[in-house]
Amino acid sequence: MTPDRKTLIGRTFPAVKYVINEDDIRDYLPVAGEEHPAFRSAEEARAAGYQRRVIPPSFAPFVAILGMLRSFDWEKDFFLDYRTGTAMFGEQELEYQRPLYVGDTLTIQGTVVDVYEKQGKRVFDVARVSVKATDEGGGIAFQGGLSYILFK
Amino acid sequence: MDTRQKAYFEDVREGMTIPSVTYGPMDRYSYISIAIILRDTNPLHLDRVYARERGLPDVVQQGPLNETYLYRFLTDWLHRPWDLRKTKIRFAANVFPGDLLTCQGTVTRKYHENGEPRVDCQIWQENQKGDKILIGEATFTLPERG
Repeated sequence: MTPDRKTLIGRTFPAVKYVINEDDIRDYLPVAGEEHPAFRSAEEARAAGYQRRVIPPSFAPFVAILGMLRSFDWEKDFFLDYRTGTAMFGEQELEYQRPLYVGDTLTIQGTVVDVYEKQGKRVFDVARVSVKATDEGGGIAFQGGLSYILFK
Repeated sequence: MDTRQKAYFEDVREGMTIPSVTYGPMDRYSYISIAIILRDTNPLHLDRVYARERGLPDVVQQGPLNETYLYRFLTDWLHRPWDLRKTKIRFAANVFPGDLLTCQGTVTRKYHENGEPRVDCQIWQENQKGDKILIGEATFTLPERG
């Protein structure tokens, strides 16, 4: 019997740092087919009107997900055995306050804002987590929310 | 290289279709890179025997990679990639190797906010069978003509 996940509402996970690093972007660009010159070098990014080399917006959800995956523990925080249980993405809502740059150090933090049960082919919980990514200057780079579907 | 004609704010009207793009076929080898980037080696994405034992036809493409194509459909069409302001995307179904993903959108509203022209749209992604994979909304800015 899974413990009542509604007790998780209000839980704030520890803030984690994620540096948008060259290695991840180099792995990502060819797989994603992202070819805009502004993703390749600082010079080309400046030519496109950006201060520095930017990452593709399509990588931003990865940043949010990476941050979340590092900040919570499936077992302890969501009562889910990741080897036998099933977790899926439900919905993602992200609002970008500025472009994201290679080298950005972001502090990412999530809070469980809601948990509710739904009946599909099986019974599952939906956990909605609000997410905020702040930069070194303390400004918000992006914010929004992710929801996870957690089977009972 | 995206060959779609770029739009200006004046060109856009509510109800207008954003030129669609079909991506694929999806390639299982790209799931290895995504697993490395996400530091998530769940065998569901990598081991087809494991996936079949769980009643699936093949390994499941990672959801964030599905999203990549829906984002590209918009950002490759925008004048600059970070003209994207907001997305809201619901994951509706799984993608498997070999699938073709068609991304589409319809403009729902144009207005000015924060001193810039903005466009809201509905966006979605479907596979070759017409199953909806992702369903959502997005907001972006477009430049105004001179």
